[in-house]
Amino acid sequence: MVLLARTADRLYWGARYIERAEDTARIVRAYNDLVVDYPSDELLRWDPLVAIHGAEIEVAHSADDPAGERAVLRHLIEDRSNTSSIASSVTAARANLRTTREVLPREAWQAVNQLAQYVDSTASAAIERQLRDRFLVRVVEISRRLDGVLESTMTRASPYRMLRLGRLVERADMTTRVLGVAAAAILYNERTHDTERINEEVRWMNVLRSVSALQMYQRRVRGPIDAMTVVQFLLHYSAFPRSVQGCLEEIRSVLVTLPDPQPVLAALEDAEATLTAVDLDDAEAERLDRAMDRVQLAIAGVDAAIHDRYVGPLG
Amino acid sequence: MDELIDPSGVPRPLANSVMDLIARLGEDELRARQELAELDIQAMGITFTVYSDGQNIDRAWPFDIIPRVIEGSEWDRISLGLQQRLIALNRFVDDLYNDQRIIADGVFPGDLLDQSVNFRPQLRGISPKFGVWAHISGSDLVRDDDGQMYVLEDNLRVPSGVSYVIENRGVAKRAFAELFERQRIRPVDGYTDELNRLLTSLAPDGCDDPHIAVLTPGIFNSAYFEHSFLAERMGAELVEGADLVVGDDEYVYMKTIEGLERVDVIYRRIDDLFLDPEVFREDSLLGVPGLMRSWRAGKVALANAPGAGVADDKVVYAWVPDMIRYYLDEEPIVPNVPTYRTMYEDERRHVIDNIGDLVLKPANESGGYGILIGSRATKDELDEAVRAIEADPRNWVAQPILSLSTVPTLVEGGVEPRHVDLRPFVLTGEQSYVTPGGLTRVALTKGSLIVNSSQGGGSKDTWIVDGRYGSSYDASPPDSPARATPAPTQTQTQTQWLDEDG
Repeated sequence: MVLLARTADRLYWGARYIERAEDTARIVRAYNDLVVDYPSDELLRWDPLVAIHGAEIEVAHSADDPAGERAVLRHLIEDRSNTSSIASSVTAARANLRTTREVLPREAWQAVNQLAQYVDSTASAAIERQLRDRFLVRVVEISRRLDGVLESTMTRASPYRMLRLGRLVERADMTTRVLGVAAAAILYNERTHDTERINEEVRWMNVLRSVSALQMYQRRVRGPIDAMTVVQFLLHYSAFPRSVQGCLEEIRSVLVTLPDPQPVLAALEDAEATLTAVDLDDAEAERLDRAMDRVQLAIAGVDAAIHDRYVGPLG
Repeated sequence: MDELIDPSGVPRPLANSVMDLIARLGEDELRARQELAELDIQAMGITFTVYSDGQNIDRAWPFDIIPRVIEGSEWDRISLGLQQRLIALNRFVDDLYNDQRIIADGVFPGDLLDQSVNFRPQLRGISPKFGVWAHISGSDLVRDDDGQMYVLEDNLRVPSGVSYVIENRGVAKRAFAELFERQRIRPVDGYTDELNRLLTSLAPDGCDDPHIAVLTPGIFNSAYFEHSFLAERMGAELVEGADLVVGDDEYVYMKTIEGLERVDVIYRRIDDLFLDPEVFREDSLLGVPGLMRSWRAGKVALANAPGAGVADDKVVYAWVPDMIRYYLDEEPIVPNVPTYRTMYEDERRHVIDNIGDLVLKPANESGGYGILIGSRATKDELDEAVRAIEADPRNWVAQPILSLSTVPTLVEGGVEPRHVDLRPFVLTGEQSYVTPGGLTRVALTKGSLIVNSSQGGGSKDTWIVDGRYGSSYDASPPDSPARATPAPTQTQTQTQWLDEDG
């Protein structure tokens, strides 16, 4: 089955953006749960969350928004100037996939289109607490429905594989970001002397929830939640599909079915080596943060190799 | 005249089931169904693109749920007439680029060709497969007060709208499921198969399993939705100019993740002048350098062939009935709007004598410039026009003022008559095919003749129905065609027809 290089690029990025929207929704939802559980007379700030999209911005804390809640949520959910916000990601996904309709199952396109319409009409209202959770759940659900449609109705050929690659590269990247943000949050709280206010188990539980891993973790570990095991689980436990190792292995299994993937496989091996080298004996925040940066760079190397191999030389 | 309701306000027999159901549903239910249809359109992503303030806005396709109904036997005649017309038009184009017999025989004035902006002298001597240049065309039809359908214009370059014919039907089926059970409404979704068959038949000789591509100018084009739709429905590739390259062997290739793959047939939705910067506009970024070389060498087929547009301008239009007689030795089955050419003395006399009842059009202007509507002009303007005709009789044509038919339409105030036109799509190759019905566009503003979707026009599903018209069929003969009060004094020339892609 023929796949235009340009179409390959659009499928890959369409899938990346959808996954980014979904993952952001999961992360925000988990943090929201944490905040809601937290005693209301104490302040749990939202600041660490802005790092999820790699932005280094000052969060405005006003009298009616002391925790920076609305400011951060606006940035992550509806801000069009943040190219990774849920609204921007979904728009970008639709724009990319709109140009690939001839290879995409109709139902899949309709899911993307529906998601875009829903986000357009509802994103700004989702800043409010009453609507927030429903909105985030809906984003995740439609994204999952899209994968369901692809899984059950799309021919296993190059277009399907480019979509898979986009999903997996983004997912691997987002899991490292969740860990990076956890590290940043610890550092932030140390700086602002919040540390004692939030107990460690709750924090790492939140990290697991951010990637929908809590239950799977508990079944695997069957013990108390501690930093080291959580980090190990999310990086190396390949049986869990959102672990970085799990994503990289799946990327490999997709790559070997694509034409002449050698240069990409080489980049993937680098990424795997970088990941294996992350061998933390404690979850010391600064080291964890730096390690996640290295893994993210290695994943960016896989992304670049995919581009060079399947889009670049021809496009 | 209204196509579904007779002058006394009674539904015409063919519209019995539709009007009966609408009456039974009541306005609230009708509106509820209209809203559901609009939600459907949004969810399915049926859109068209408009340019506004320098931005491209992707808008939901406007659709009115009340269908337009046309009798099968009438349609069969129109369909034959359109096939006949397109065969003659294609013979004409092929003749112009080759022997120019029609000019030598004095049927078509050769100097008109020199003024044509769509004649491409670079293409002389080429004869594409089957001698066909305009494989895919759309002719705009209007029904006048006398009940007769006329061809108003032909679109032989890159006519758009067929995707909406098919999508409208999908939406209408859900909106009025009960009517589809009871009536024989001819299906429309065979079009893409027919198009696929046609494109396959154009493949260069020896190519049994051709690779077909739809060439689009890209996402910013107003008809991008359609390009994508057609590629999807045919299993063809949707390509942009930058996806294609012409090799040293003069074959056309597309850039795939596995390297270069040959393309054998291109359904191009890019205007002639942008197709190949080597031959036409040098600054075109939309086209493919070398494409024309490849086409000339017979290594790729192009539909429509470049240069086909020579036969769809409004001057050539006036000669289409003559072409049908000349090439086919037949009388036209579907008439032109009578068009008087002032270069011929008897026609000139008729125009001058009746100038107050005619629309006068300069032959060489486009976009509505220099048009004079006789019924609205002052005495001085009419005198001036007569002098202009006498000074340069080759530069004018004139037509009677038509009033477009109406169809009941759901508008703010309820169900009211609104003016419509119709664009059927015709495929011409070894055989011909006409869509059952076509795209009905409706002017949603009362009295308006502007049906263009970017200017507030809507669309309707078009039903060609056969045999008995549902359960409440009335066997008495239909009333004689209505002579309604003349429609607002606008003319067809003010109607803005759906743009071609380019």
